[in-house]
Amino acid sequence: MLDELYSVAGSAFAVGNIAWILFGVTLGYLVGALPGLGKGTATAVAIPLTFYLEPLSAIAFLVGISKGSTAGSAVSAILLNTPGEPSSTPTAMAGYPLARAGKAQKALKMGLFASVLGDLFSTVVLILVAQELAEYALGIGPVELTAILAFSMVFIAGLSGRSMIKGLIAGLFGILISCMGLEIETGSPRLTFGLIELYDGLPLIPVAIGMLALSEMMIQIGQRQRLADEADLLKGSSKREDQIVTLADWKNCIRPIVRGSLIGTVVGILPGLGASVGSFLSYGAERRASGRGADFEESGAIEGVAAAESADNAVVPASLVPLFAIGIPGSVIAAILIGAFTIQGITPGPLLFLENKDLILGVYVSMLAASVMLLFIGYFGQNMFARIVRISPALIMPIVVFLCCIGAYLQGGGTFGIGVMIVFGIIGFFSKKYDFSFVTFLIGFVIGPSFELSLRQSLGLVTDLPELLDHPVAIVFAVLAVVGVWRLTVLQRKQMAEMAKAETN
Amino acid sequence: MPKSDLYAGIGLMAFGLITLFVLIPTQTSDGGDASISPALLPQICAVCITGLAVLLTLQAAGKLKRGKAAGQAVPKAEWISSVAVIVAVGVAVLQFKYVNPAVAAGLLILGLMLFMGERRIYFLIGIPAFLLIGAWLLFYEVLGTAIG
Repeated sequence: MLDELYSVAGSAFAVGNIAWILFGVTLGYLVGALPGLGKGTATAVAIPLTFYLEPLSAIAFLVGISKGSTAGSAVSAILLNTPGEPSSTPTAMAGYPLARAGKAQKALKMGLFASVLGDLFSTVVLILVAQELAEYALGIGPVELTAILAFSMVFIAGLSGRSMIKGLIAGLFGILISCMGLEIETGSPRLTFGLIELYDGLPLIPVAIGMLALSEMMIQIGQRQRLADEADLLKGSSKREDQIVTLADWKNCIRPIVRGSLIGTVVGILPGLGASVGSFLSYGAERRASGRGADFEESGAIEGVAAAESADNAVVPASLVPLFAIGIPGSVIAAILIGAFTIQGITPGPLLFLENKDLILGVYVSMLAASVMLLFIGYFGQNMFARIVRISPALIMPIVVFLCCIGAYLQGGGTFGIGVMIVFGIIGFFSKKYDFSFVTFLIGFVIGPSFELSLRQSLGLVTDLPELLDHPVAIVFAVLAVVGVWRLTVLQRKQMAEMAKAETN
Repeated sequence: MPKSDLYAGIGLMAFGLITLFVLIPTQTSDGGDASISPALLPQICAVCITGLAVLLTLQAAGKLKRGKAAGQAVPKAEWISSVAVIVAVGVAVLQFKYVNPAVAAGLLILGLMLFMGERRIYFLIGIPAFLLIGAWLLFYEVLGTAIG
């Protein structure tokens, strides 16, 4: 593998490519640091730019943005108690009390180191695992693929929200919406309402921008006063030990970082779990291990920051494993990357390693380079990013809405794309407010065409139920899907009951 | 939020039934010689959505009956901001079509800044101007792709 990576290092380290990664990481860090903006928004808005880039630079740029914004979201979490996205909430819980005690610099530095280590570890796992998995995936037929996709949808629906029913509705709605356009077998229009613009189906990028970015802006603009107020509560400190990461801090944090990186990587590989599950699991494990109880949040804990950030950042590269190996997007970022691959005429999945091996190896090298750049940009730009979080939301959010419109216009066939963005912005707003997982919707929308194709092929291959016995892998996944619905529903009910109990107490 | 779940369940039930009995029959061909009807997958989705919406409604109604709290899911400020964003983008699209792309973009940014309480004149002029010049440089000069 090392020889293969070395062979593509020339193209990955070309000045143009490095410049795009650097730009991506910086932009991502900047957007991530801004309160209320997360990696989904950053990546979705940036996609239209990649239309004009070489495939390697395009993917590397977007991966740079997602890595940068994941790490950058710790800045607003620690300084303003306003996580850029839900996965940074544990960072805010452990880091904001430190910032109020004058130890913001220390918390930010440890958050950055943990982010880079988690990200680097997960990238190495991606490099080692994805190709091996893809070789197995090449032997998968349509019947097995249908069962795997159905299982993935159930898994994602059950884990990305609080309600299995709502998750399944969101996923099915995504698949239903993906049916719009010319039907694959007969070529006849389906659910197009006479609109020629819909013959190719709904464009992914305006849908993603609407669901992720515009809906988020609608919510955040309504919360602008709270965002502005948080910045006034910070305290400074002149003590040097409050501003640096000491050897004692490293001794305390190395175990949570290792544990967090492992948790984040495993969570990332499993489709649908997402960064929030990773960071909360890792934070919870460290909180229990510390034995400090409620003091962990009251006084703040640098170990908590390290645990949450390492897991949060480990999820992003690991979530590309199912995308590269099987073609299933396991996260929002992976779903958006499918749009970028499609723009470049590339289909993610096991054939990627046969048809575009140099590209994928180049992406690996670029990801490693992005991890190193993340360290430098985060470390040397820390003071600048700390100032940026104090910029008034009234200046930032109109700019983001403007960029959303440009992105939807360029990738959605003109003003039609903006119309699509508005419609899905409204749907995204309600799905976020009423807890219908927009992640499941987007993944359903992205895998819908593959699911339909494999379902049709399966129905042609399996005409009688006993013929299913020739496909044991499909049976296993079908059973797992049914068991998954049952187990995940039970689990969610337990969690809801515990939450209700905690609220009563 | 059982009350909002109840409304969502009823709304989704209606959506599922309309899709199943009105939209799919009128908007999908019978497929002619196709081995599998083009309506198959949309029908599966619509049936499942309707079934799940019934479950959601029953679950929410059960919770309401047991007297579980029904808090307000969306604060008023977020309703207002959502309408403002939609109106601003909608008006910008109309201006884009019937007036001029630069005017549409400039007023979109300016309108949202004013809505969010920004009153400093140098920002109100500077930010839209900076973004418009930046977009023009990027799309017209660097990438060579005209907008509008």
